Amino acid sequence: MILSDGDLQAIWLTLRLAGVVTAILLLIGTPVAWWLAHSRSWFKGLVGAVVALPLVLPPSVLGFYLLLAMGPNGPVGDLTKALGIETLPFTFWGLVVASVFYSFPFMVQPLQNAFEAIGERPLQVAATLGASKLDAFFSVALPLSRRGFMTASILTFAHTVGEFGVVLMIGGNIPGVTRVASVQIYDHVEALEYSQAHRMAAIMLAFSFLVLLALYLWRSDNRKRD
Amino acid sequence: MKLSMKVQKKFPDFQLSADVALSGEQIGIFGKSGSGKSTLVSMLAGFVKPDAGEIILDGESLFSSSQGIDIRPEQRRIAMVFQQHCLFPHLNVHNNLLYGYKRCPVEYRTVNFDTLVSVLKLDPLLNRAVTSLSGGEKQRVALGRAILSNPRLLLMDEPLSALDDELRFQIIPYLKSVSEQFGIPYLFISHSLVEMRLMTDTVLALEKGEVTACTDSEQLARNRMGDTPVGYINLLKLDAMTERQGMCAYRWEGGEMLLSAGNSDTASGLFELSSKDIILFKRHPEAISARNLLECSVESMFQSGRKLGIQLTCGGGRLVAEIVPDAARELGVVEGTTVFAAIKASAFRRLSKTAVG
Repeated sequence: MILSDGDLQAIWLTLRLAGVVTAILLLIGTPVAWWLAHSRSWFKGLVGAVVALPLVLPPSVLGFYLLLAMGPNGPVGDLTKALGIETLPFTFWGLVVASVFYSFPFMVQPLQNAFEAIGERPLQVAATLGASKLDAFFSVALPLSRRGFMTASILTFAHTVGEFGVVLMIGGNIPGVTRVASVQIYDHVEALEYSQAHRMAAIMLAFSFLVLLALYLWRSDNRKRD
Repeated sequence: MKLSMKVQKKFPDFQLSADVALSGEQIGIFGKSGSGKSTLVSMLAGFVKPDAGEIILDGESLFSSSQGIDIRPEQRRIAMVFQQHCLFPHLNVHNNLLYGYKRCPVEYRTVNFDTLVSVLKLDPLLNRAVTSLSGGEKQRVALGRAILSNPRLLLMDEPLSALDDELRFQIIPYLKSVSEQFGIPYLFISHSLVEMRLMTDTVLALEKGEVTACTDSEQLARNRMGDTPVGYINLLKLDAMTERQGMCAYRWEGGEMLLSAGNSDTASGLFELSSKDIILFKRHPEAISARNLLECSVESMFQSGRKLGIQLTCGGGRLVAEIVPDAARELGVVEGTTVFAAIKASAFRRLSKTAVG
């Protein structure tokens, strides 16, 4: 066997985390991206900057503040206590929350670009043909921005797979619970298990490259067809 | 259709103010680019909210700032055909056509899908992707889609501007016949007076955000004759072309018109002739280089700017010539006078291979 049980467990956990985060961000990121694409509000710039913050913020800074917020004395911790739920740090769902914050711009920005590219006119046409705003979104905007949705989903998934700093701050290193692939590699290196680290790292490298290659090939194929 | 608009809208660099009451089935909104045509139509469709005023269509208030009414665009039942066809690229022709039809309440569905497809000759296109259609086909599909949504008013915002001349005049009969056949009134927006005369009865003229005239399209063309470099455009339906001595002889209203050789590729068509290209003579000239010399009677005269428009009856046809007042005095033209109109064979420009209008 090339990979140990621990490696396989870490890979499965990583894929599960990335899948859940991508699904949640599709639900949260779509309305935010829509608002950013269509709003003329004065605080649109402020919201845009907040959304983009994880792109430039060191992961440890984001992880530190999330840890404080979700900890037993933080506002999120108070809320989870009141709801009778365990505190989120060092749990799978804690990782999910942290990853949602960290990967937010990777979902929102491609969607915002896709919505802006559609423009107002197709939506106006749909309105004159009797479509409500929600109807026009699902029947016109969504199909026309499918490329943006695909790009956003792939980038979010791949970015979540590659997370390290925030994951370590919020999740620690609990096998089967929070030990994702990137942390597993770190563990192998710490334990001087270079050959195992190599195998995991090679898989991550190949995965990232193949995802991006597939995305670029798909995009250029779509452009040709358009 | 009865439409009353009393609206005001201020932009940083432009202000629109209109107070009009229109009634008719084929109404035009005419003006240069930037005159406020599209803003006015956008307010009617519900895309732009007026700062103040009210819009009433067939007795129903669509917008009223004093009563706090602002009906949403999808509830106004006003369809729109844009300059850029704006077909949905992810749907084929059939599904584009059905987009509005499916969303129209059953009680309003009076336009039959098959009839419309037949009138617009869309049968062979139904399963095609809209991206594979020509400009004219796309505009026909856009028109069909709008009509099938069973609107009570159809807005056409420069629907012909993106098409070349030949296509433009091919589409006009469709625009007119569909509206007439299905009883849907329209508001036609254009900066072309020729289109206005072919498409509309009543025209609202806009300039710099103000309504400058509300008259019939023919009158508007005459009013503007003296102020435009192209003059008044006579529209002539010519047919039964025969080639003669290197020229094209067309039949026109019982008479004949000789056109230069470049027009031999079609037996009939719609041609334009500027009022500036008609020269009037008091008596039959002894010899003349112009190939068309018509004996005409002066039917009426009208002042337009510094020019005088002369309405001529030539056999069964009518032409408008323009002259300066001094020339009128020298010619001694009064109503009923006989004059001779000389027209060069090269003065005609073909608009379409088919007679329109």
